[in-house]
Amino acid sequence: MSKYFSKEKWKMLLYLLSHPADGFYEIRHNDKGSVPIAILMILLYSVVITFNMMSSGFVVNNTEPNSVDILSVTFGWIVGYILFSVGNWSITCLMSGEGRLKDIMITIGYSTLPMSFFTVIATVFSWGITEEEAAFYNMIIGIGTVWTVFLALLGIMTVHNFTLLKTIATVVCTIFAMAIIIFIYLMFTDLIGQVITFFKSVYTELIFR
Amino acid sequence: MKKKLKFLALLLLLSLVLETGVASAGTVPYDTYNYDYWENIVLTPAAYIPAGSISGSTVGTTGFMNPQDISVGDDGRIYVADSGNNRIVVIAADHKSLDRVIEGVMIDGKLSKFNGPYGIYVTKENLIYIADTNNRRIVVLDDEDNLVDIIENPQSEVLAKDYAFMPLKVCVDYAGRVYSIIKGETLGIMQFEGHEFTGYFGTIEVGISLAEKFWRKIATKEEREKQIQYVPTEFTGLDIDEDGFIFATNRDTQGKQAVRRLNPKGDDVIRKGENQNVGGDIITSGTSDYSGASYIVDVAVRDKGIYSLLDNKRGRIFTYDSEGNLLYIFGGLGTQTGTFVTPVSIEADNRFIYVLDSFRKEILLFKVTEYGALINEAVGLRYDGDEKEAVDIWWKVLALDENNELANRGIGKAYLSAGDNEMAMKYLELGNSRQYYSIAFKRYRNELLKASLGYILTVLFVIIVGLVAFKQYKKRSVKKKG
Repeated sequence: MSKYFSKEKWKMLLYLLSHPADGFYEIRHNDKGSVPIAILMILLYSVVITFNMMSSGFVVNNTEPNSVDILSVTFGWIVGYILFSVGNWSITCLMSGEGRLKDIMITIGYSTLPMSFFTVIATVFSWGITEEEAAFYNMIIGIGTVWTVFLALLGIMTVHNFTLLKTIATVVCTIFAMAIIIFIYLMFTDLIGQVITFFKSVYTELIFR
Repeated sequence: MKKKLKFLALLLLLSLVLETGVASAGTVPYDTYNYDYWENIVLTPAAYIPAGSISGSTVGTTGFMNPQDISVGDDGRIYVADSGNNRIVVIAADHKSLDRVIEGVMIDGKLSKFNGPYGIYVTKENLIYIADTNNRRIVVLDDEDNLVDIIENPQSEVLAKDYAFMPLKVCVDYAGRVYSIIKGETLGIMQFEGHEFTGYFGTIEVGISLAEKFWRKIATKEEREKQIQYVPTEFTGLDIDEDGFIFATNRDTQGKQAVRRLNPKGDDVIRKGENQNVGGDIITSGTSDYSGASYIVDVAVRDKGIYSLLDNKRGRIFTYDSEGNLLYIFGGLGTQTGTFVTPVSIEADNRFIYVLDSFRKEILLFKVTEYGALINEAVGLRYDGDEKEAVDIWWKVLALDENNELANRGIGKAYLSAGDNEMAMKYLELGNSRQYYSIAFKRYRNELLKASLGYILTVLFVIIVGLVAFKQYKKRSVKKKG
């Protein structure tokens, strides 16, 4: 356990924010990253998002209180995270990317930290604003999002040793890969279901004979 | 233990009995509901309850046949366009007896019988405008059934020589201008001054989306012929408000806007509420015949800018205020008293809401409940600008329906103008009015800042002085060491 959560690994997380290029290089080549911490970051972001939906100021909060469900939010983000990682991994494997699945997962997980941080800031800020100041709220969230996207792009670029253009191309391909994975999953479950019903009907035929 | 169990059983029984007691108190055969800010259905107390019906036999004449339109005069008499029987039935103000039956009109000493009169409108001066559809004319009669005017065979450059003029619905403004919906006419409402055709009015523009345009571009001619024609929808019903603005309903398959308020130029000036929808039901998903956008067939303009729409699809009546907020929705399909089979026309006066059902061949009456009356009154007061007086009534509405957003909003706004920002914030949040909440919050924040500015400045001052003193102290201690 201490291997994944050592002080050094936590420090890397913060080091990334100021030195992203170096940090991702270290993660890829010197095993400075930790997948459990990355998953923890995704969980943190789910909690933060739920917090934002539930208790951001009334003026900017357009979420129906009944519809907030931390479990479904967390599940959604975890599934999306794994889908994206696997999708990116399968694409970059074909495009001679150097990153391992582990590196991709760490990259994406670590990158969400600014977004979590700024969402919390924005949520607290939203308790004291009026409609005219809602632009600042959106700006704060925007800063977090842009930082995260920047980190993620740079991370994917670094761990795979890609150029920027190639990175963007792989990200676009990744989205298609995700769609294909979902499609295959749905088809698979549907077919399995049909097989099961087939055997079930054979069974009922037999016992009623 | 046993005693406890017995007690529990008794409680359960009691609760069951009480439950049924509550259920039987509501003998209304339909739900009354509204949509909240998040467009969820919220059930409310009944706003209107059935108050009987009028048919041909109850007023002492033969039954109606396929009646299509009603109009209620200022004196309370009901005029029914009994299309299938080719007659107009006038029901006396007490709703129990017959005033008279009009079979036709005397032209040059000869009786010219009606043929499928489809629409009727009665003015304040008791002039009766009859859309005599199959005779292709609009007939104007006075109170003694004498012919006043006749509109037929309109002539204009924009009309074809053999134009089939088949008026369905008719409506008249204070200046005597006649507006009529014509069968199969998609260019708009026909407007007449005297009996001269002056032009089309309030044409509905067709909205074609970019994707549809694209597909039409790449389709072959044969394919294009088979596609649906993009023609403007026809109007379905007419009414007119005190200011002479025409309310016209139309079929909107999107369910967004089924009614227009047309100014004298023919522009739509209707106001839409928070959800930008004046098209009846908001939740319309599903695949059965019962799903889909509401089919609004008629509108009744009521006092103080309130108007009600009649939905033919699900037999519901939607009531909006002048700002486009939904006030209450009631009514339903069925064969019980107070439900519809084919509702075609709606009218309202200060006593009842009248709905004509062409299949049931009767007029159904609805009378207002305490809940409905309170909402009507509060909305009316706000329409007149007496928001302060409306507050008392909004409180009464809240007592009956705790989650009424309009009531909460009304109370919040009153607190806001009275200067009680904290209470205003509470009620505006309950009423989901972000715009006014923001104003209340801004004032509340300023108050708070003003009240605590002294403390804030003191704390800041102490911190600065402390920092300076600390630096000086540090400097000295360094010097001493050095």
